[in-house]
Amino acid sequence: MLRKFSGLPWTAIAPVLIFIFLAVFGSWIVPYDPGAQDYSALLQGPSSVHWLGTDYLGRDLFSRLVTGARVSLVAMAIVLSTALLIGVVIGSFAGYVGGVVEQVMISIIDIILALPSLVIALALIGIMGTGYWSMIAALTFAWWANYARMSRAVVATELQQPYIEAARVMGASHLWIYVRHILPHVLSLVVVYASADAGALVLSIATLSFLGLGVQPPMPEWGQMLVDGMSYIEEYPLLVILPGLALTLVVVSFNLLGEAFALNKVPRPIARRLWRRRRAERAAEEVARDKSEGRA
Amino acid sequence: MQRLLLRRLGLALLLIVAASALIFAIIAAAPGNVAALIAERAAGAGADGAMIARIEQELGLNDPLPIRYLTWLSHAAVGDYGVSLRTGKPIAEEFAARIPVTATLLGFGGVIAFLLSLAMGLAGAASNGGVVDRVLHAVALIGASTPNFFVAALLVIAFAVTLGWLPSFGASGPASWILPAVTIALFPASVLSRVVRVNLQEAMARPFATTGFAKGLTRGSVLLREALPNIAVPFLTTFGAQFTLMTIGAIVVETVFALRGVGSFFIDAIRFRDFIGMQATLLLFVVFFVTANFLVDLICLLVDPRLRRGRN
Repeated sequence: MLRKFSGLPWTAIAPVLIFIFLAVFGSWIVPYDPGAQDYSALLQGPSSVHWLGTDYLGRDLFSRLVTGARVSLVAMAIVLSTALLIGVVIGSFAGYVGGVVEQVMISIIDIILALPSLVIALALIGIMGTGYWSMIAALTFAWWANYARMSRAVVATELQQPYIEAARVMGASHLWIYVRHILPHVLSLVVVYASADAGALVLSIATLSFLGLGVQPPMPEWGQMLVDGMSYIEEYPLLVILPGLALTLVVVSFNLLGEAFALNKVPRPIARRLWRRRRAERAAEEVARDKSEGRA
Repeated sequence: MQRLLLRRLGLALLLIVAASALIFAIIAAAPGNVAALIAERAAGAGADGAMIARIEQELGLNDPLPIRYLTWLSHAAVGDYGVSLRTGKPIAEEFAARIPVTATLLGFGGVIAFLLSLAMGLAGAASNGGVVDRVLHAVALIGASTPNFFVAALLVIAFAVTLGWLPSFGASGPASWILPAVTIALFPASVLSRVVRVNLQEAMARPFATTGFAKGLTRGSVLLREALPNIAVPFLTTFGAQFTLMTIGAIVVETVFALRGVGSFFIDAIRFRDFIGMQATLLLFVVFFVTANFLVDLICLLVDPRLRRGRN
């Protein structure tokens, strides 16, 4: 799986690595506690004491921005890994079992995918109430279907391979065939797609927090910092611009990574197999046509 | 052709029924009792068991789930969406006042996204690897990565606060639509401009483009007359998908610019846990998504005769 990342240009990987570095080590770098209020230094501009100034409660903006990276990354990582797990399990099950079960699951997945994921997440938050974990749960539910569809397609393709039949003849169990032979193919495709999805997820988390339906106030989150700053947009536009800029930079870097993946034409082995299968089908069709026309 | 259309129409209706069933099931599974919520809102702490039971009886909440779903859907089909838990008014009234606002926003934004993406994609293809192409690629990448509430904030800072040219909130006159519409158009325009650019590049490598050059046409006229009509289907399909995604932009933008549209109604319903309002808005969204996709399919079939032949 790591091989997929090694072929990419460093310009696509470096920005994401910087973001992850800040998210992990940021709390040791920042000069102030992101929640510490200082009423003697409200709404100050950038200075040597507060590098990027302070907000309306005298909290250090630089410290809050850097700590915000962790909040976004942690929320995104939880949602992405849970959605991935659920999607791969359900999608693989549907693809492996086949038949009516598969058809029913595909229809459910297609219905979910017919709605924009953020609309689904909003509806679920409306039912569960607002809060950090309800946002995580809502986004996970809105996100898994995509990976389920992808996993199902890979499993269905792999099952047609002769080596699966060979394994079965040799007496391998279903679990062994799935874990040993099919799962690596599923993961190598789905994980790559998921890492390109990370930017969209960071954006969704920020949007929910901006609307007051995601990460709640004491926690420094960029979308929520931005909406807080909106009341001061005329006098102190920095309170709005800085969190927005941080958010945009992170999403740009994830999208750069996604674009690099797309250019690399990542899932090569699977594409090749699909192509081979299509060629085989076409050959079979030709034979059938020849037969029906009485030429064979 | 007719059979194909009927099939598509049937699929679209089926999708509406299935998605509305999903919405109904999710809302019905909500923790907390709708009747208890209504009673609490009406009588405060004085709501007792008898009152809750009466409301349950009135709303038919004791009926089996499939019956409740069919009742809800058949009422919604004739424009009766129930009474909002938040405002106490019929939701149909709210929709009548709010749909024009959101429709104006989406229409205006859609036109901007359509024209801007075509212009950017064409300019990029005409430049073909030059400075303009690379700058537009960077602009599209940033445009597709900037959260729309940040775009809105930047536009307000520039055009409302600093220059004072345009109002920063409300719906008062045509000028007040400019900032909201530009805000929701930027993301789809960025995504679409890449679709235009990439597909134009592929079309320019096809034999008909070579023929065009051989006839002595300039690069510009080959682009416009030979390549552009050929990218209609991928462009329109992506435009349809992006247009429906603009509802999310509308939800955010209506909140930022204090527009009283369907999006802000939805957010208010979520904040207030107005299940009946949420249900109705989600149904409205589903109908909009499915209709928009159906229309795009239809337009593609009309535009590209190859599709009609291929699938019949």
